Amino acid sequence: MALSEYDVRAIAEYARIGLDDEELREMTAYMNDAVAMLQPIVDFDPAGVEPTFHPIGDLSDVMRADEVRPGLELEPALENAHATEGRLFRVPSILGTGGLS
Amino acid sequence: MSCFDELSAAEIARGVAAGEFSAEEVARASLDAIAARDGEIHALLQVTEELALKRARELDEMRARGEKLPPLAGVPLSVKDNMNLIGSRTTCGSRMLEDYESPYTATCVQRMVDAGCLPMGKANMDEFAFGSSTETSYFGKTANPWDTARVPGGSSGGSAASVASGEVTLSLGSDTGGSIRQPAAFCGVVGLKPTYGAVSRYGIVAFGSSLDQVGPFGRRVEDVAMAMNALVGPGADPMDSTSQECPVDFLEHLEDGVEGLRVGLVPALCEAEGISGEVRGAVRAAAKALEDQGAQTIEVELPHIDDSIAAYYVIGPCEAFSNLARFDGVRYGYQEPGCATLAEQSEKSRAKGFGAEAKRRQMLGAYLLSSGVYDRYYYKAQQARTLITRSYAAAFERADVLLFPSAPRTAFKFGEISSPTEMYLSDMFTISSNIAGNGSISVPVGPGPESGMPLAVQLQGPAFKDRRLLTFARAIERAFEAEGAVAPACARKGGELA
Repeated sequence: MALSEYDVRAIAEYARIGLDDEELREMTAYMNDAVAMLQPIVDFDPAGVEPTFHPIGDLSDVMRADEVRPGLELEPALENAHATEGRLFRVPSILGTGGLS
Repeated sequence: MSCFDELSAAEIARGVAAGEFSAEEVARASLDAIAARDGEIHALLQVTEELALKRARELDEMRARGEKLPPLAGVPLSVKDNMNLIGSRTTCGSRMLEDYESPYTATCVQRMVDAGCLPMGKANMDEFAFGSSTETSYFGKTANPWDTARVPGGSSGGSAASVASGEVTLSLGSDTGGSIRQPAAFCGVVGLKPTYGAVSRYGIVAFGSSLDQVGPFGRRVEDVAMAMNALVGPGADPMDSTSQECPVDFLEHLEDGVEGLRVGLVPALCEAEGISGEVRGAVRAAAKALEDQGAQTIEVELPHIDDSIAAYYVIGPCEAFSNLARFDGVRYGYQEPGCATLAEQSEKSRAKGFGAEAKRRQMLGAYLLSSGVYDRYYYKAQQARTLITRSYAAAFERADVLLFPSAPRTAFKFGEISSPTEMYLSDMFTISSNIAGNGSISVPVGPGPESGMPLAVQLQGPAFKDRRLLTFARAIERAFEAEGAVAPACARKGGELA
């Protein structure tokens, strides 16, 4: 079933990617082309085959003791942020009223 | 004096160690070549002159003190602009990261610098590595040094072009679905995608975390082998939990030859729709060259390989959607000013910060991971991945390496492929080894008889047998006398060692 502009608008909201009307039309055409290209996966019948989520799944992860080690310092961690306050990143209201004051 | 682009990495390092020229002189020669050549090519987004000169002077001071120099002392290097390097911006070719200052240095870059490389600049790329032509960079296209009307391939097009143009000797790129091998093929240089896990990904901006792998470009197989020694020599990286020990010397068997070894050809791939006559001819010629050196060619099958593209364009976008969720304008990246709420800021920052292809991939990933859709696509793509990996395992029971095309055709013209889904087919021969994780290499076989553009073939090997790939690549390089070639229009423009 083809994706409608309504469907694609909902996906864009979920992905937090604003699309204007022209972009929405183009994105809807793209999404339907791309999904059609993926049809071999839908048609694929892999009954009983275990999935491989990782190419080195049969090798062990590199593990270390759970101990505190030095990480990125505060200054470089904050240097690319647009708004900070003390040790924190500053963001607009999460629930809805007012921007950065 | 000679132009530095005529020298191999080993020759540069030997020359610096012997005092024939200083590392600073090599750095200045590379800067001179960049100034003379990159205006037309636009391989580099930033020239990190101060970092290069600083490293060069350190090496020259080490020599003056009588200390032993590292193996790549004075070798000019560019790195793809998705790799962090303190003292540079890391833009990923995106407006989103236009002003992003690297807060630390990626392990792969640090290891190359530790091995003596001079960090000359950051190489252009498709935005966030989404593309096969380097046309999607927010900062403009990179041209193919062999013909500036044509694309250099992608997504590591700037890396490939900076080596092909002779601006630098080595480059680092990343390969999620062919992004090292396809631009290497289009630009006539050697490009290795090592086995997943061989090279640390720490400090690389992630695209598809189970697919991404860092690897080197060079104009000679030997240069690439030396780069691999630098990248894996210090051992597994504790900063990357997928990083594996890879205790081999990549130079050790380079000249061993291929006598008695078996080369697998996959007839279905060589006859695939859309592959040009020149590319078919290149694979045949490479097979014959290996036979002439004593290798045996056999036909092998790779069942399920046809599902690779579909599996990739499920797994890749899903992983990309997850990875790129971090770009919300809060901690770094483009931020839309004046927004009332965090949600509005995030939506508008992502709308303006990302280009069209970055939005497409994330939208596709968001859809494929949604409830009710996941089981039909994502889970089944990972099941297909199991079968593709098993196909490779069976093929490598019979063959030591597989010989493929690198790309269906030589470099295409700018704007020639406008449909995103048609562009995705550029990677039809490279994607499967990202799905399975095994290593693969593109090696040039000289210009095409019809197009005049570089032709290449691809070798794929079993996981963690990347050294074997280099032995085979060296055999091909010997046969075609393709080593060291700088794109003719660029060669000797600037870059003289004073």
